[in-house]
Amino acid sequence: MNDVQTTSLRRDIGLTAWQALYEQRAFWRNRARAFFAFLMPIMFLVIFASIFGKNTISTRAGLPYNDFFVPGILAYGIIATTFFNNAVSTAILRDQGVLKRMQGTPLPRWSYIAGRIASSSVTTLIMTALVLLIGRLGYSVHVRSATLAGFFVALVLGSACFTTLGIGIVRYIRNADAAPAVLNFAILPLTFISGIWFVTDTQTAWLRHVAEVFPVHALADALQYAFNPATTGSGIKGNDVLVLGIWLIVGVVLMIRFLRQPLGEA
Amino acid sequence: MNAIEVSGLVKRYDQLEAVRGVSFEVAVGEVFCLLGPNGAGKTTITEILEGYRSRSAGEASVLGLDPAAGARELRERVGIVLQSCGVQEYLTVGELLEMYGRYHRHSRSADELIELVELDAKRDTCAAELSGGQRRRLDLALALVGDPDLVFLDEPTTGFDPQARRQAWATIRALCGLGKTIFLTTHFMDEAQTLANRVAVMRAGEIIAIGPPNELGGRDARPAEIRFELPDGCALDQLPEVPAQERRAEGRRVLIRTHQPVRATAEITAWALEHELELAQFSVTQPTLEDVYLELTGEHVADERAQIEALRR
Repeated sequence: MNDVQTTSLRRDIGLTAWQALYEQRAFWRNRARAFFAFLMPIMFLVIFASIFGKNTISTRAGLPYNDFFVPGILAYGIIATTFFNNAVSTAILRDQGVLKRMQGTPLPRWSYIAGRIASSSVTTLIMTALVLLIGRLGYSVHVRSATLAGFFVALVLGSACFTTLGIGIVRYIRNADAAPAVLNFAILPLTFISGIWFVTDTQTAWLRHVAEVFPVHALADALQYAFNPATTGSGIKGNDVLVLGIWLIVGVVLMIRFLRQPLGEA
Repeated sequence: MNAIEVSGLVKRYDQLEAVRGVSFEVAVGEVFCLLGPNGAGKTTITEILEGYRSRSAGEASVLGLDPAAGARELRERVGIVLQSCGVQEYLTVGELLEMYGRYHRHSRSADELIELVELDAKRDTCAAELSGGQRRRLDLALALVGDPDLVFLDEPTTGFDPQARRQAWATIRALCGLGKTIFLTTHFMDEAQTLANRVAVMRAGEIIAIGPPNELGGRDARPAEIRFELPDGCALDQLPEVPAQERRAEGRRVLIRTHQPVRATAEITAWALEHELELAQFSVTQPTLEDVYLELTGEHVADERAQIEALRR
């Protein structure tokens, strides 16, 4: 790589950072959207933990319900800020012609999308920190230092997987009005069979196998494994990492296909 | 060098040929206008030149580059106002101009642009809260943020009220003053007439006439038209002989088409004064761009009329 290319690459990385900043500013300024993407998981956390907080889970050796539910709701929160939020906002930006406008500027397309991904990652991190804080202070749920590796692998891999899927799925959403319906159809049933709201250890085998194919279960399970006080070792669960990894590849392929589409003729 | 060169440009969509072998050049510093009814292919040509669409055949060069190659260099030097195109709704006018400015190696300051499009009072207002006209002015400011050599304006004043149109025209004229090349599309005759150095009239994917607005379709060479009402008790053959291409009356309305309007007018008015007659609604006019345009695109207008008739039935 020669000097000119290096300088221009450095400039584009700078532009990516600026883009992330503008996206963050726009995200928090739209209070209604910020509420749904950000405060909903927190609200569910408080409600469910208050109702079922005193229960224990017999199929998991008397594990306190909150040790199961807090990582589950964290998985839901990650899906909301990465998958849901990116898909809806990208569909809106496409329908409004903003993507087309961006295509006419000198900003490279990868730089624009990387900026948007960086911004949604910041939102995800803030939400994760808030869930961890409330879990710790309110319900004495936390990740032990021994299983921190498992926690970080789940967080990073899960976010990457759902972010790319969220942008990639926009190609299959005809218009932004339909986006929430399509996305809820794709995700909500999965959250019920994937052990986010309640324990699914005893559910019918075929339903469990269906859930295990999809990344919702893998992310929730990976986080629950890392949070579980009884887990020994690094807290990394190979099966879940494998499923998330495969879906990450699917997500990357879908995202690249969406981004290669010429927007003028879309 | 020309800013834009197009030859034999063709765009096909499945069965439909939207652009059928179009050729033209736009000189540096010129205001060039594509004029034509909706569906004539104006936007297709514009979006091919902007790099949004591929072409099926023919050659195109914009600022010496092939627009289909999608070079960043070209996007640095071209400003685009698309027909309807959103912006990030939750950023303010000032933030948007600053953000889009960063994308360019050389950009104009937000302050300067806000002043140019008269959005001073809206600097800290989110795009979502702007009126239609204010948005269109923001579009223009955003197109100019990279200090482009060439600006594409696709129907820049559609949906404007008359006053806003005048304002936009003043802004566009100010751009010409800065030496920018402007590529404009419109279906408003007066817009083409006021702004353009040269106009290309399109119909059904083809350019059917091209030239300065005053010479379009041989407009400058056409006879002037003298009209008035024949006074009571006066017949057409009582009028004096004047040099004319055509002389006819519909009821009391007289139309004289002549290449010597001054002489014809003098002789008719002298005759009227001599006989102490008043010629009601006396006028002398040159055919307008609209007359020429309607004549050129006549077939299409007839089609539209037929459609309207069909809808009424």
